[in-house]
Amino acid sequence: MNKWYEDPGTPGSNVIYSRIRLVRNWREYPFPGKMTREQSAEMTGKLYEGLAGIGSLEGKKFRFAYLDRMADLEKTALFERRAINRSVLKKHQPSGLILSEDEREGVVLNGDDHIRIQTVDMGLCLSRLYQRADRIDDYIGNRFDYSFDEKYGYLTSFPTNVGTGLRASAVVHLPVLSRKKNFASLTADMARFGTVIRGVYGDGGENFGSLYQVSNQKTLGQSEKEIIDLVAKTAAELDVQEKKLRKDALRQRPLGRADEAYKSYGVLRYARRLTRKDAMELLSQIMAGINDGILKTDEPCSLFGLMVGIQPANLLSRSEKPLSREELDAARAAFLRERLPEIQ
Amino acid sequence: MLCEHCKKREATVKYVEVINGVKTEHNLCAQCASHIDMGQYSALFEGEFPLGKLLSGLLGMQETDRTSERFSGVVCPTCGTTYEEFVKNSQFGCPDCYSVFDPLIAENIRHLQGSEKHVGKRPADWKRPLAGEVETARETEDSLKEDGASQETPEPSENEAASSGAQAALTAKERVRLLQARLKDAVKREEYEEAASLRDEIHKLEEEISQHE
Repeated sequence: MNKWYEDPGTPGSNVIYSRIRLVRNWREYPFPGKMTREQSAEMTGKLYEGLAGIGSLEGKKFRFAYLDRMADLEKTALFERRAINRSVLKKHQPSGLILSEDEREGVVLNGDDHIRIQTVDMGLCLSRLYQRADRIDDYIGNRFDYSFDEKYGYLTSFPTNVGTGLRASAVVHLPVLSRKKNFASLTADMARFGTVIRGVYGDGGENFGSLYQVSNQKTLGQSEKEIIDLVAKTAAELDVQEKKLRKDALRQRPLGRADEAYKSYGVLRYARRLTRKDAMELLSQIMAGINDGILKTDEPCSLFGLMVGIQPANLLSRSEKPLSREELDAARAAFLRERLPEIQ
Repeated sequence: MLCEHCKKREATVKYVEVINGVKTEHNLCAQCASHIDMGQYSALFEGEFPLGKLLSGLLGMQETDRTSERFSGVVCPTCGTTYEEFVKNSQFGCPDCYSVFDPLIAENIRHLQGSEKHVGKRPADWKRPLAGEVETARETEDSLKEDGASQETPEPSENEAASSGAQAALTAKERVRLLQARLKDAVKREEYEEAASLRDEIHKLEEEISQHE
């Protein structure tokens, strides 16, 4: 079964994928930060047992795994695929993951909070994703009593999640807009409307591939629908601005834009060694080229899926032996040569 | 705009310093910002996701000796989280922490979230608790907890039995302190009926304490 990120997404849109996250806590236990190892193991086990039938809800197969017993490489690969969040990556106490086969629905048990529900899919589809997360939330809530407060809503470890426990996010590809001088002030303006923007892949302060995630800043005092509408509107607005700039660039220097797209394709097609940064930048150029109609592929394909595939842990999990840095760069180039779509 | 320090990365942090009326502005990237001493604000750049620590920054910033002294004794009876612990980690230990620390942090949560009242989804079977019900439930829990505490809590050491009496007295005093904070909050919100009942409760508790002493 294809993973969600292997689907082609919405042609012509710069919104790559959307994600909904809901955090909940079971009333029976203190929050994970104050739980003993025994309590963590007991609670994770009970939640597993109670949620064994979750597959019938989505009509899919779900995988049940203990994250603390999982190899670091596999966990990091899951993190790169956005199935788990960073804080659970380093956690040693018993914690669990219930993940559907295509990785569109996932529940992390005993991370920062007891229950972290996530739904994710290509394109801008926050309302649909929320409906799915809401259904999973009801399923769990019918089996386990949540910590809920009249004033503060769903109670969470961090006060930054309290209320709805909802983080709605959309990832937008902004290769031109993000290089504009006013990008910093634009993002500062966004904060005033209650959204935050940050880079998805990168190293330190550097961004690889121009993917930016927009999400809601506040979780309290706004309904789920208001939060989703806000993030969807912001993502759509960024998409429009990026499109406008790209259209202008294409009109002003058509040869330059075509050259960038074809050169990037050529390098990826024949390179024998690629760093993560270079590969991400080149894929970003091709993504823009296809989106703008400069490059035409035989079949629709997911460039984002390739971006996920070339992240270090995902590349390493495909290899049978550990790789040196140079070997990893070679494996990355080989991976892309094999999977890059044919162009007309 | 590029970071003025490394001149390589995009500046994402704008730091405005006003010293003796002279305003200086710095535009830095997150990495360089974390290396520069910005007093209490530096806490915001530790770790990879500063949002979680935002509250620590806010609480730490406005904390004066007076307030820290007044709140330093406040401990969540259910999970043992102290106010200091909360300020340091921006993290609660259990659902009860919200009501325990509410008078101390409600303002900050409102600042952070822009609101102090949940308006979204509720659990399907959620019923609004009647006034007083929550308190009674919590008190029962407390008394239960006192019975089982010595076996359950892993951290406290051997002199636990000796200290448990002192702990009970402390809780009463702490409760007064907590109620005082709530009273202040109620007055601020102009909820005078609530304030009056809080005042009576404080008097009652204070009398009890003085009798014990």
